[in-house]
Amino acid sequence: MAETLLALDDVRAGYGESVVLDGISLELAEGGSLAVLGRNGVGKTTLLLTIMGFTRVVSGSMRWRGRDIGRVAPHRRARLGIGWVAQEREIFASLTVEENLTVAARAGRWDVPAVYRLFPRLAERRRNMGSHLSGGEQQMLAIARALTTNPALLLLDEPLEGLAPIIVEELAEAIGRMMAEEGTAVVLVEQHTDVALSLARDAVVIERGAIALRGSSRTMMADQSSLDRLIGLNLTAADDRGR
Amino acid sequence: MIAPAVGVLFDGFAYGMLLFLLSVGLSVTLGMMNFVNLAHGSFAMVGAYVAVSLMGLGWPFFATLPCAFLVAGVISVGFERTLFRRVYRASDLQQVLLTIGLAFISVAAAAWFYGTMQQPVRLPVYLRTYATFMGINFSIYRLFLIAVALAVTGLLVGALDYTRFGAQVRAAVDNQRMAQGLGVDVDTVFAITFALGSGLAGLGGALAIEIVGLDPNFTFTYLIYVLIVVAVGGLGSIRGSLLAAILLGVSDAAGKYYVPTLGAFLIYLVMVSLLLWRPSGLFGRR
Repeated sequence: MAETLLALDDVRAGYGESVVLDGISLELAEGGSLAVLGRNGVGKTTLLLTIMGFTRVVSGSMRWRGRDIGRVAPHRRARLGIGWVAQEREIFASLTVEENLTVAARAGRWDVPAVYRLFPRLAERRRNMGSHLSGGEQQMLAIARALTTNPALLLLDEPLEGLAPIIVEELAEAIGRMMAEEGTAVVLVEQHTDVALSLARDAVVIERGAIALRGSSRTMMADQSSLDRLIGLNLTAADDRGR
Repeated sequence: MIAPAVGVLFDGFAYGMLLFLLSVGLSVTLGMMNFVNLAHGSFAMVGAYVAVSLMGLGWPFFATLPCAFLVAGVISVGFERTLFRRVYRASDLQQVLLTIGLAFISVAAAAWFYGTMQQPVRLPVYLRTYATFMGINFSIYRLFLIAVALAVTGLLVGALDYTRFGAQVRAAVDNQRMAQGLGVDVDTVFAITFALGSGLAGLGGALAIEIVGLDPNFTFTYLIYVLIVVAVGGLGSIRGSLLAAILLGVSDAAGKYYVPTLGAFLIYLVMVSLLLWRPSGLFGRR
């Protein structure tokens, strides 16, 4: 059993007065991978924001390699090795592609040439401004930017959302390669349930801020009736958006 | 016919450069942290009084300039770390009340220590002369002012565009939360930027004495011009501030020369028309 990288214990968190996450507990081992599934608005993004330290934690604890990080500032969590790919990509528009990659880079295996090898399209656009990219390129840049901080854990918030099928394939393959080759742990929030389950080893389904179902991706893939019940609507919604 | 026009352009340009030095810091900090710092003019005044005091002790004019920059920068970062950072998440109104209160205190403090009269500035003789080119007189001091402002602009744009720190500043202006999420220490980046911006205001204050004089009202007189420059240029944009400052400087000089009845009012007309044309400023993004 690999060592525990991140552990959440009965975390309740939200924004201001409202509590979105209602008692989440989960553990992720070094190099592990976890798909976070569920309908829109159940708290998947809030979970990632809570791990980053951008929400108000009401109770519960969060540990990183055994150390309590509940009160650690977001930029320090990033420096501890948590890489964050935000849902809206949030590319820095007034930085070039290459500056987006170097602005927060930390020394390690993922340097600029390495992420260009993973996403060759970005190399072609290195001098473009961050705002002048297609949706797929922005997503690649968001992932590449998080990688240059050389994280031990990558939080991916719907990286495939709204992208053309061919780009989805390309990105999913890159994410898979990154996990396999580098042993980077991943928490993957995704609407494309099938892709998410095929990429991650384990999965949880969130409903109304709590974990409704957890298990290995393989068993969950086989449990179609539970998936339909908990996220069924979402599959069609995601499909509609994909077109 | 040509000579007065060139003279007006030159004076206006020099005045614009001064406005740029005074305002660029506020533009960057407003754009970056959405922090409404109406005490910005006070840091300019601090620089001006530092220069006057040191000259009173017999320091040469040039030696006082880096001190004006340093003292204004250090004092501002002291306020930033202790007071301002507490209201970053507060409403605009609370920020305005705090900083305008500080501006009033600074005016009263200046009046207490230095009196309300105009402060003398003793420039070296060679700065008080004129260079004549094609029959037109150019004030050496204004040429010096333009040179300093251009050098500062060059350094600033270079630092912001070509260093990693500059990229972090731009990233924090673009999206503070994302910058933090990637490990950028936005607080420290902001404190340094704030100190630099206030330091430049202090330098601008010291350079302004010869052109516009210095008394405790300096804070508020120039706060207004600084806010106009920032609004017209667009928040967070150095190029915008530069262009706006030059436009306003030239239109102010032209207004006073060609339409004396309108006088200093022209600058407001220019502001209103530019903002009607581009409500978020020349280079504004929001």
